[in-house]
Amino acid sequence: MNLSVKIANLKFSNPVTVASGTFGAVGECWDLKAAKQLGAIVPKTVTLLPQQGNLPPRIVETPSGMVNAIGIENDGIDAFIENKLSMYAKIGVPVIVSISGKSDEEFQIMAEKLAGLSSVSAIELNLSCPNLKHKVLVAQDAGATQQVVALVRKIVNQPIIAKLSPNVTSIADIAAAAEAAGADAVSMVNTFQAMVIDVEKRKSMIGNFTGGLSGPAIRPIAVNMVYQTAQRIKIPIMAMGGISNAEDALQFLIAGATMVAVGTMSFIDPNTAIKVLDGIKVYMRKHKINDIKDLIGFIK
Amino acid sequence: MKIQHQLKIISNKKITDKLYHLVLEHGKLAAQVKPGQFVEVRIQESLEPFFRRPFSVFRSQKAVEIFYEVRGKGTGILSSQVKGAMLDVMGPLGTAFTLPAKKIKQVVMIGGGIGVAPFMALSDALKNRGHDLLLLYGGRSKEFTFNMAEFKKNGCKVFISTDDGSVGVKGRVSELFDKIEINPDTTMLYTCGPRPMMASVQKFAQEHGLKGQCSCEEVMACGVGVCLGCVVKTTAGYKTVCHDGPVFDLHEIVW
Ligand SMILES: Cc1cc2nc3c(=O)[nH]c(=O)nc-3n(C[C@H](O)[C@H](O)[C@H](O)COP(=O)(O)OP(=O)(O)OC[C@H]3O[C@@H](n4cnc5c(N)ncnc54)[C@H](O)[C@@H]3O)c2cc1C
Ligand SMILES: Cc1cc2nc3c(=O)[nH]c(=O)nc-3n(C[C@H](O)[C@H](O)[C@H](O)COP(=O)(O)O)c2cc1C
Ligand code: FES
Repeated sequence: MNLSVKIANLKFSNPVTVASGTFGAVGECWDLKAAKQLGAIVPKTVTLLPQQGNLPPRIVETPSGMVNAIGIENDGIDAFIENKLSMYAKIGVPVIVSISGKSDEEFQIMAEKLAGLSSVSAIELNLSCPNLKHKVLVAQDAGATQQVVALVRKIVNQPIIAKLSPNVTSIADIAAAAEAAGADAVSMVNTFQAMVIDVEKRKSMIGNFTGGLSGPAIRPIAVNMVYQTAQRIKIPIMAMGGISNAEDALQFLIAGATMVAVGTMSFIDPNTAIKVLDGIKVYMRKHKINDIKDLIGFIK
Repeated sequence: MKIQHQLKIISNKKITDKLYHLVLEHGKLAAQVKPGQFVEVRIQESLEPFFRRPFSVFRSQKAVEIFYEVRGKGTGILSSQVKGAMLDVMGPLGTAFTLPAKKIKQVVMIGGGIGVAPFMALSDALKNRGHDLLLLYGGRSKEFTFNMAEFKKNGCKVFISTDDGSVGVKGRVSELFDKIEINPDTTMLYTCGPRPMMASVQKFAQEHGLKGQCSCEEVMACGVGVCLGCVVKTTAGYKTVCHDGPVFDLHEIVW
């Protein structure tokens, strides 16, 4: 049975990975043995400078999901490269490093830092960041998306994955812009803008006022977005949005995704990604599918 | 270390209208837990309620014991779980209390409401070690107080306050602070409970130069330091309650 997939020339042993911001330090949530089975790992987004993150409360649970506004708390890219990267690389599966910049220049400096590093297998551009020039998120503007992707394309040889926001009128349009600018894949979807109000206090339950919805609550919307986008672009899609078991993941693969990432559900059951991988194998055996590529996008 | 366990419920007893005592088969977990650490319980296999629920380990001698208050959805469902059912439990998680040095004479545990739970484990660890153990417990009303015999067996002197005066002294637990021996070298404070209470303990400790530790509470998603959702503000910036805590230096928290 062949589960391997590719983004550009980068080969993954299987299509199951983790969503940025939901996978952390080895030896805690993830025992090494489990992490080694994944197709790739994606650590939390890093920014050029350290960020302290948003005012708490940062999370609130919702029906079959959660709203978060963490604010990309991180130590900055230099500390990441120095202290964390080798630990992730030691797992032995491709490491996809997620970066986010407040300006084109920040993306450029970060890309330059990652370009020569062999332990960085691919770069994910988290485009759900404010665009100082356009007053919207980069991922909400086809032109801005195209510009950032093209800029990074000139600097790095590693595959580039553009991570898209679902908070747009047509996510397929943004995906097409990323493809045109030289992205090797898109990952989708990031969280949906959301809000929860404490009616007794008449206050938002989130310190940052609004946040992003994730978890099984968003899955059917994400599946549709992946399906729509797969009709438009030729580059691979890494799909995420509420995956909790193999059946959820298979929906994304059949809708046209090449890879699938487990996010929020890892918080509820840290073994979710491994269960997804095992379940996909069981499905392939049952349906006599020898190559995962015979599943991707084959919706009847 | 394996942190996800499937544990069988040995008993789940109602203590008062609001308080329950859950005993879980120990698995390998009981021996690993240190006083102050907690577990994250998946209330049921469905997606409702969505997050796991964190509970301090009340005791971990022969079994893993949890002492909980029925507060909302999750604890409501938990209270209906019966003997023999299996629970998906992650743990032990977080930091433990630092046990007092030999020279500490008086160990003061100040618990507000269900925040008293981890002090059972702490007093289990401290009995017969030569310290004077003092438990100051503040509850809302009779419904939230319970028999303190087990604490007394561990050698604790127990004082109670209730908001309505139905048990013990009427008022906040700070009404009981006069039981504390004010000696920075030989007194150690431990506190767990609602924020305003812990803030008042911190203020008292600062005024009198006393050392202490506090166990914080925040809503949690992952419970293992990954999501950065459960942070509290400290003198050194935001820290996660689940991984950097729940036990912090009393003077480190910025309320
Ligand atoms: C480290 C740690 C140890 C804990 N130990 C214990 C323990 O030993 N025994 C025990 O009974 N409880 C303990 N708790 C608190 C317990 O986790 C909450 O009471 C529980 O999650 C409530 O779940 P619920 O679904 O019943 O309430 P919900 O329906 O989620 O909420 C009901 C009400 O309680 C409030 N609430 C919910 N969770 C929290 C929270 N974490 N902090 C403050 N307010 C909250 C909500 O805002 C709401 O008003 C601990 C919490 C932490 C973080
Ligand atoms: C707590 C939390 C933190 C996240 N942090 C990031 C992040 O740093 N960068 C990023 O690109 N996406 C981040 N995400 C979004 C996820 O990677 C994912 O796109 C989204 O949650 C949808 O997938 P899910 O429903 O499986 O979680 C975060 C999500 C959550 C819940
Ligand atoms: S609950 Fe995720 S970091 Fe604490």
